[in-house]
Amino acid sequence: MTARWVAVAVSTAVQRVSGDRGGMLVTLGFYVAVVGTLAALWAAAAEASGGSVAGYDAAALAWYIVASEAATVALNVRMIEGIGDDIGSGAIAVELLRPAPVLGLRMATEVGRALPRLAVCVAGGAVLGVATVGPPPSAAGALLAVPALVLAIACNIAAQHAFAGLAFWIRDATSAWYLYQKLVFIAGGMLIPVEVFPAALQAVVKALPFIAMSYVPARLLSGAVEPQLLVLQAFWLVVLCALAVAVFSAGQRRLQVVGG
Amino acid sequence: MAVIEADALTKTFPLRGRRQACPVEAVRGISFSVERGERIAYIGPNGAGKSTSIKMLTGILHPSGGTATVLDLVPWRSRRALAARIGTLFGQRSQLWFELPPRRGFRLLGAIYGLPDDVARRRVDELGALLDAADLFDVPVRNLSLGQRMRCELAATLLHSPQVLFLDEPTIGLDLLAKQRFRDLVVRVNADQGATIFMTSHDVADIEQVARRVIVINHGVLIYDDEVSAMRRTLLATKLIEVAFERPPGQVCLAGVQVTESSTTGMKLVVDTTMRSIRDVLDTLLDRYPVADISVVDPPLEQVISAIYAAPRA
Amino acid sequence: MLLATVRGAFAEAWANRQSFWLQVGAMAVNDLAWVAFWLLFFNRVANVRGWDVGRVLLLFAVLTTVAGVVLGVFANARRLGRLAAEGQLDAVLGLPVRPLPYLLLRRVEAANLGDVLFGGLLFAAAGAPSPQRVLLYVVGSIAGIVLLTGFLVTVGSLAFFGGNGEAGELGFHAILLLAGYPVDVFAGGMKLMLYTVLPAALVAAVPARLVDAFDVRAAGLLAGAAAIFALLGWATFTLGLRRYTSGAVWTRA
Repeated sequence: MTARWVAVAVSTAVQRVSGDRGGMLVTLGFYVAVVGTLAALWAAAAEASGGSVAGYDAAALAWYIVASEAATVALNVRMIEGIGDDIGSGAIAVELLRPAPVLGLRMATEVGRALPRLAVCVAGGAVLGVATVGPPPSAAGALLAVPALVLAIACNIAAQHAFAGLAFWIRDATSAWYLYQKLVFIAGGMLIPVEVFPAALQAVVKALPFIAMSYVPARLLSGAVEPQLLVLQAFWLVVLCALAVAVFSAGQRRLQVVGG
Repeated sequence: MAVIEADALTKTFPLRGRRQACPVEAVRGISFSVERGERIAYIGPNGAGKSTSIKMLTGILHPSGGTATVLDLVPWRSRRALAARIGTLFGQRSQLWFELPPRRGFRLLGAIYGLPDDVARRRVDELGALLDAADLFDVPVRNLSLGQRMRCELAATLLHSPQVLFLDEPTIGLDLLAKQRFRDLVVRVNADQGATIFMTSHDVADIEQVARRVIVINHGVLIYDDEVSAMRRTLLATKLIEVAFERPPGQVCLAGVQVTESSTTGMKLVVDTTMRSIRDVLDTLLDRYPVADISVVDPPLEQVISAIYAAPRA
Repeated sequence: MLLATVRGAFAEAWANRQSFWLQVGAMAVNDLAWVAFWLLFFNRVANVRGWDVGRVLLLFAVLTTVAGVVLGVFANARRLGRLAAEGQLDAVLGLPVRPLPYLLLRRVEAANLGDVLFGGLLFAAAGAPSPQRVLLYVVGSIAGIVLLTGFLVTVGSLAFFGGNGEAGELGFHAILLLAGYPVDVFAGGMKLMLYTVLPAALVAAVPARLVDAFDVRAAGLLAGAAAIFALLGWATFTLGLRRYTSGAVWTRA
């Protein structure tokens, strides 16, 4: 039963997004622009620091960015705002009447929407990477990066729903979005490999869930063969889903008390 | 003296389809003339070209052909000069600041229309009384109901004492009571301030209760232009009655009334009001038959329009 | 009249105070994240093609100031494309005002005002302010503001000629993305583009470099480019308005 609506929700979303060529192109264009920019920055940084930064050479850095950006750009940019708006406008109250769990349905849909975009970004990033710095440093690492990218997206979506649930309490969820996005930028290692951080900060960041959303696949694609990172992602996925469920059910109770 | 003059006004929009682009003629050569102080209902079904016409007359759109003058100005060439002398109200677009009380928005609009502060304030008080809305002016717009908001929007439109009032579907989305109230206010504004009223709608009641003259367009073409009283005699001479019965009424037979649908529990009737008054029909029905529920409605606009097409041209 | 418009827009933003401060705070977090990024970056890297941590922070100060003013005070600049495509200019065109300045000032985005404040503070903290540098920072930011507004109005106004305003959204994201990095990490055609059709370099990098090392020619070029984009924006909008369709375009047949 559960498996069925999840599958239907995911595949419907996949079809919807795949049909939208224009939107796909915009995503790809944006992705290529961001990867190009950051890769240029890091290439210049490697060049300025004698060939490598924190153990990453120019090629590893380029592939790092390819994966770290694919895992984030593939997501629906306005997800948090969208959920917040739906909560604020009361639209979610209608959804709560459906027999399927709202949260699960929404999350499955978002995963479905992200997958085709992820595929397009990864393909674009692969072409870009091979053309500029040659193949990924490690084939095994690249292989591990594929499931890691999917897990990264799932973690991200779960966490965004937990964050967006704040809209049950505050009227404007946009600020939640900014805050969250920046945490992924830095603590998630999206813009910068976590190894570049000073040691103490590295320890803190590695204990937070954000690395599951971008750093893990990026680290793998940059040539590190560390399968235990996948286990870490799975752990965070469970924790984040539980958190999202907790926030939504608390919010739902509040909705019943104070009204939409 | 004519305040609005439209001459073969035409507007073509590009239609952007999947691949090819082909134009859509929203308004096709419409001509009419409106005198000072008239109350015009400019009606037609959805997509007939009403809004497009009004937007050309207010200078928002440039026509693709033909010409027009409003208060002797060509709207799209002298948009700003014209805007200072006319008022426009679009049913679904707000000119007030959503988070602020209307009074604050009026102050701003006053500045935009170049009214001195004290003049604007006096005018706001005057409008508050005229529109029975003074108590609404200090509530943030987002907390107002649609009907209340429309009264405030009307006040905003009237702030600079416009000579012509363009109302585009102002009653859309309002409930029956709010609609009625809004219509009364529009008539009052016309009587009190002498403003010419040009109002689009696809609600037959708007014509009967607001306008003295009605222009009907369909598919971008003007198909009818006459006094409302004339239209009432010919085209609006029917009312629809829906009756529900407590028990089978037996044979129903009334002069001047046509039965369009009938079952043991209810009936739909069309009354020709030139032959028999609605009141008389209702009295007879209530007297003679076991009526459980009864309602009277206007014929839908579509029906009026097909009647126009069917009617012999005068 | 314009003053009254700005006052109204501010009053509207202010009417929702709790959310106002929340947004300003969120913006500060956002900016701090970028500062953190650059500090972490320069923690390992000393100098990238002439840009050290000081100059990059200066760039970021100019960028937040410029973007804060443009997206905060001229909040509709980035929405112009969508407003035009969706036919939401009707209410504005019904007023006896010049539509472009009124539109730009009609809406204030509270969150972005936090950026302006942040830019100033960052400059004060990391920009080694001296009278001359403050002056250059202010003048440079103004040039950036004019340029960015002109650019956004230009790409937004393309919606009058076709499309659903995607060009505006795309241009907005592209220019802000690229304006945040030292332009010299790019090379060749890309670099040329950032000085011309997608003038991201001129928004913050060039003004920042002028504060550090003033150069009459570069200043002249910046002023010229700002004027050109302002003019371009005005012209595209004015020409586009004639083709305004008030949303009556059937987009999906």
